[in-house]
Amino acid sequence: MSPAAAVRAPARPAARLLRATAAELAKLATLPSAVAAVLATAGAGAVVSAALAWSAVDAGESVSAVAALVRAVPYVQAGLVLVGVLAVAHEYEGVQVRTTLAAVPDRALLLAAKTAAALVASALTAAATVGAATASAAAVRLLLEAGPVREAAEPWTAPGAVAYLALVGLFSHAVALALRHLVPALVGVLSLVLIASPLLGGLTEHARWLPDRAGALLYDPADTVLTAGTGALVLLGWTALVGCAAAVRFARADA
Amino acid sequence: MSPGNTFAAELRKAATLPASGVAAAVALLGSSLVTVLNSVSARVALDAGRAEPGSLTSPFELGYAAVPLGTVGAVVLGVTVMSSEYTANSADAGGGRQITATLAASPHRLRLLLAKALTVVLAVAATAAVTIPVCVLIARLVVGDAAPETVGPQEMLHRFLGAALYWTLTGLIAFAVTVFTRSGIVPLVLLTVNSSLVSFSLLLTNVTPLAHWLPDMAGRRLFGGLGTVEGGLDTVPGAIVMAVWTAGLLAVAAAVFARRDA
Repeated sequence: MSPAAAVRAPARPAARLLRATAAELAKLATLPSAVAAVLATAGAGAVVSAALAWSAVDAGESVSAVAALVRAVPYVQAGLVLVGVLAVAHEYEGVQVRTTLAAVPDRALLLAAKTAAALVASALTAAATVGAATASAAAVRLLLEAGPVREAAEPWTAPGAVAYLALVGLFSHAVALALRHLVPALVGVLSLVLIASPLLGGLTEHARWLPDRAGALLYDPADTVLTAGTGALVLLGWTALVGCAAAVRFARADA
Repeated sequence: MSPGNTFAAELRKAATLPASGVAAAVALLGSSLVTVLNSVSARVALDAGRAEPGSLTSPFELGYAAVPLGTVGAVVLGVTVMSSEYTANSADAGGGRQITATLAASPHRLRLLLAKALTVVLAVAATAAVTIPVCVLIARLVVGDAAPETVGPQEMLHRFLGAALYWTLTGLIAFAVTVFTRSGIVPLVLLTVNSSLVSFSLLLTNVTPLAHWLPDMAGRRLFGGLGTVEGGLDTVPGAIVMAVWTAGLLAVAAAVFARRDA
């Protein structure tokens, strides 16, 4: 065999992206803390939604399984934040990021692959969580022999919740890429989503432009200015803004 | 090492940890920012003469309302004092964990854990001692003479001590949980969620009244005067229940830490 034949022809960009994304997904799937975070999020979704349905039925409210899911989403978003952050933080915990860069030296390609892998992981976690939460709330309703639901849920509420949770995971991923460390990224996003956002929501109407409040319109459209679509765009805009800073750092700074 | 030296070493380690500085800054700046927002909107309402009767307008109330948010800072302080010991170094430096060096320097494990717990107490109490007066001062500067102070000095002191106690106990609980888990992820997520409006403990109280005996639900009336959910324990019994939880978790943490391989 001639030496020239041993060198493989360079793959097309799409094929290289696909390969790099598969590698990133394989890394995530074999990371014990990421797998634990996914399972714990789905489990927490089931338990929280069951508890919410239980207390609603106890109080004599007529709450469908999907309505219980809507109430459970604020609790489970912490799990999606964790999944999004872990996808980056594990690279920077040791020197794995250098191995990764040696294997995929094209940083733009690697960034695209990482983002795609994080989105896939977040979307799968979100779908599993929403499924588990809806099923457990329905099971509780059956168990307690709850009466019929008066108001039918909108058909796109559950898909909207999946989309919102997946985008929250992507946003956390962008923040973690910009900050590179687990604790600041985790605490920062959790404080923004769980503490700052409800607080500012009570103080000023401009809080509707915060990433999580805008995104939440995907499953619970209650705003007068933004709709589900524009709300999702606002959340994506925040993600793009943070993602640009993260991309510059990733492409330019030392690993 | 003597107990005093162990404590001094732990204090120095915590003080030079970047995460401690960030946690204290988050508690201070986050609470201050919220106080500014709260007081500016109160001032605007007062100047326009549309302050609703019963709404919080006194400077102390406005500053104090931001204090429960600083609990996140206490959680981060408690977690990082322990989790930093177990984080692996860069592979260039051998990839070791600081805990092995710490245990070689102070082999008495209970003494070490006590020194660390005291460090958490001191760091959180110092953060509270700065944050709460700063918040009240900001509120006073913004509101000025527009609203009279309705809280007496005695009550101010009680509520300050209550909030500082809540922060300290939460920091210690975060510390004890991190001793079990060795990684900061679980306590950070769990305790941040529970410091927020979508707290798991709050949800559990809808299912069973027993949840009022959980540490964060029991201690919540330490933030005296702030509106909170109905039911549950009063201030002093609640504080005792929270302190017992903290002591119990620390005791289990000590047992685990003394018997487990590093």
